Amino acid sequence: MLIDTGAGRGSPPPLPASRSSARRWFPELSDNTVGLLFIAPFIVTGLFFMVYPVIEAVRMAFFSYNPLRPEVTRYVGLANFQFILSDPLFWDAFLQGTVWTLLSILFQTLLGVSIALLLNRTLPGIAVFRGLLLFPYIVPTVVIALIWRWIFNPEIGVVNYALIATGLVDTPIYWLSTPDMAMASTILLNVWKYTPFVVICVLARLQSVPQELYDAARVDGAGAFRRFLDVTLPQLREVLIVVVVFRTIWTFNKFEEIYLLTKGGPGTSTFNLAVYSFEQSIASLKLGVGAATGVVMMVMLLIGSIVYLRVSGFGREEAGA
Amino acid sequence: MRPSRAITAKSCIHRRDFLASGAALALVTSGHRSNAQSSKTGTVRVWGEPGPYGGVAVAAMNEWAQKNAPGLKFEIETIPWDGVYVKLMTDLAARRPPGLISVESPIAMQLMAEGLLEPLDDVSQTVGRDRLADKLKWEYFGAWTSKQYIMPAHHQPHLLLVRTDISKELGLSDPDGWSWNDLANAARTITQKKPEMAGICMALGRNLCTDYHFAALLHQAGGRMFDQRNKFEVAFDSPETAEALEFVRELQQFMPKGAVEYSFLQVVDAHVTGKTAMSFYWGRTLGRAAEEAKPIFEATEAFNHARNPRTTRRSNWNDFQGWCIPARNNPFVEEAKQALTYYLKSTPWLVKYCHSLMPNVAPVFKDQAESAELRNHPFYQSKARAVDTYFNTSLEHASSTANELLQGVNPFAGIVHGRSILAQTVQKVVIDKMSPRDAAKWGARELDSVRKENMQLVN
Repeated sequence: MLIDTGAGRGSPPPLPASRSSARRWFPELSDNTVGLLFIAPFIVTGLFFMVYPVIEAVRMAFFSYNPLRPEVTRYVGLANFQFILSDPLFWDAFLQGTVWTLLSILFQTLLGVSIALLLNRTLPGIAVFRGLLLFPYIVPTVVIALIWRWIFNPEIGVVNYALIATGLVDTPIYWLSTPDMAMASTILLNVWKYTPFVVICVLARLQSVPQELYDAARVDGAGAFRRFLDVTLPQLREVLIVVVVFRTIWTFNKFEEIYLLTKGGPGTSTFNLAVYSFEQSIASLKLGVGAATGVVMMVMLLIGSIVYLRVSGFGREEAGA
Repeated sequence: MRPSRAITAKSCIHRRDFLASGAALALVTSGHRSNAQSSKTGTVRVWGEPGPYGGVAVAAMNEWAQKNAPGLKFEIETIPWDGVYVKLMTDLAARRPPGLISVESPIAMQLMAEGLLEPLDDVSQTVGRDRLADKLKWEYFGAWTSKQYIMPAHHQPHLLLVRTDISKELGLSDPDGWSWNDLANAARTITQKKPEMAGICMALGRNLCTDYHFAALLHQAGGRMFDQRNKFEVAFDSPETAEALEFVRELQQFMPKGAVEYSFLQVVDAHVTGKTAMSFYWGRTLGRAAEEAKPIFEATEAFNHARNPRTTRRSNWNDFQGWCIPARNNPFVEEAKQALTYYLKSTPWLVKYCHSLMPNVAPVFKDQAESAELRNHPFYQSKARAVDTYFNTSLEHASSTANELLQGVNPFAGIVHGRSILAQTVQKVVIDKMSPRDAAKWGARELDSVRKENMQLVN
């Protein structure tokens, strides 16, 4: 025996009691409203932890503020910007930061693409290799930097021990004691830690490149190198642009690796703008100057990113389509 | 009328009795209040250097808390030497200071001049102003505008440590009689004849340790950063500074190549692992050697620094370390004072404090220094002379950046160390190969900007 629910006669079926009481309290929401509700926590968090600090940093860049003497905080106009732009250390930090960023990105990209190509094969146990590759990326930077300080220790470090034991060098290398070697060591650390990020991005893209393209190139007589140039690279172009932009921004802003490994030394030879900003803010308690440095960094990166995206033609194909 | 007068007189007597009793009660109560139980609850955070001594003092404070404030617990938070300035400044600025701080004198004196500390005259009176050991003065630890802000914790000089087995083997003279020239010659001889080890080691990195090592040489040469007697004018751009920097440059040839990045730990490591025959350091090197390298411990002796040949000064950089209590945003000021008083009045606890890291932290009170129990430590048998040099004879040559040549408190020193200005000046010479004269000028400019930005501390 069927129970007549009223269905099929133009009226909706009656709702269970709990649902109808819920509807009384919560009116039916449109898809847009539900979507907004879902992203609201992220918007609120973003506003609080990202937008507000940026606004506060921009505001502070125009004030003289020593946190130990909050009663003497005063508006100083562009004085903080004048201070940093006339400070030779700011320009040294900018140049060193640029060198560290460019070389780090160059090596990360070259190594990342090479390793991704090697891993883009179906071999037994390849998944294990792919998993292991993530190790440097997932270990906290502070752990890595402190371990590397010991590894690079000229007297008792394992790197020198291995190099001397294998006869590759006769005397210890002073990895962190000369400006050039310290810069090279910080770049080495950055490349080692973040190459896996490039590998992951490139590998994901490689795995979605249609096999037919390679087959067609093979039929046309293209060798491995030609296939890489004419098939693989164009397919990787978009992902590489994104990776380079992100890695550039992150590396240029990087603070903890340099600070933990060399503290910006020897001298100030590995200072970048993030370390400079920290020193001004915390060691010198000139929070306005530190904030002004952050604002200048933000502007530099914004301009750099826009120029790079324009020059590289990112998204041009989609726009054309 | 008489009876009534009598009654009145009688009632007057009663009133007087009552008032007298009331006054006595009030006195008893007020007297008792100073030892009264605190009903506060929570944790009193105590900042201290790495090392067990801060923990010993905190154990004493917890003994006080058990009797007088059962709801309170004192807890030590250690701050690494190189992180002291950043940690202190950021946490004070964030208005979450600890209840009590044990910190190096330059920073303590900066905090004192900033008006961030509670005056401790009452504590110093109760502890006993006549208890300080010979050659020590209350102002060395931190007095400002006739008020005592810092209570003595310990004094701690860095000295010249020499491997006497090496010096004897190479026929070097007694290091106690050395001038700078003799020290450099000894370092040269060791470097030439002992290729596996450096002649001497000091910190040359951009850090606090380099600041302190260089400050001793600067003061030996008669130089200084600021002139306290002349409105704290910068006095760093001087032939004396250039002379000290020139000496560092000369010694650098005989140091480990990595010294340009060395800080506290690396200098100790270099000595304890036998990578250097001589070093500048506090007592901890001997302690580490005793724990890890017995032969090096037995062969190492501590001496007052070599004399500057011109001034004959043997200045060391002595950390007149003290206890201070943040005045703002500190809910435990009174409890911290009481607990600190309890600890500082207890000779047994003060002796335990010194014993916890021999011979790194020297006694500051007479009863502590003269205690028979203090001598009941193996170092008094194995290294009696070194202990005596660290604890006593070094005081004749004591100096500090916070009280240069002991001629007056310098509240700028903490800011100078926060920015590593002395270390950066040294690095201009040893890394950038700048001439000592130019480096002194560079350093003077930095010091002048510190002075200009912070004149309010001394006005």
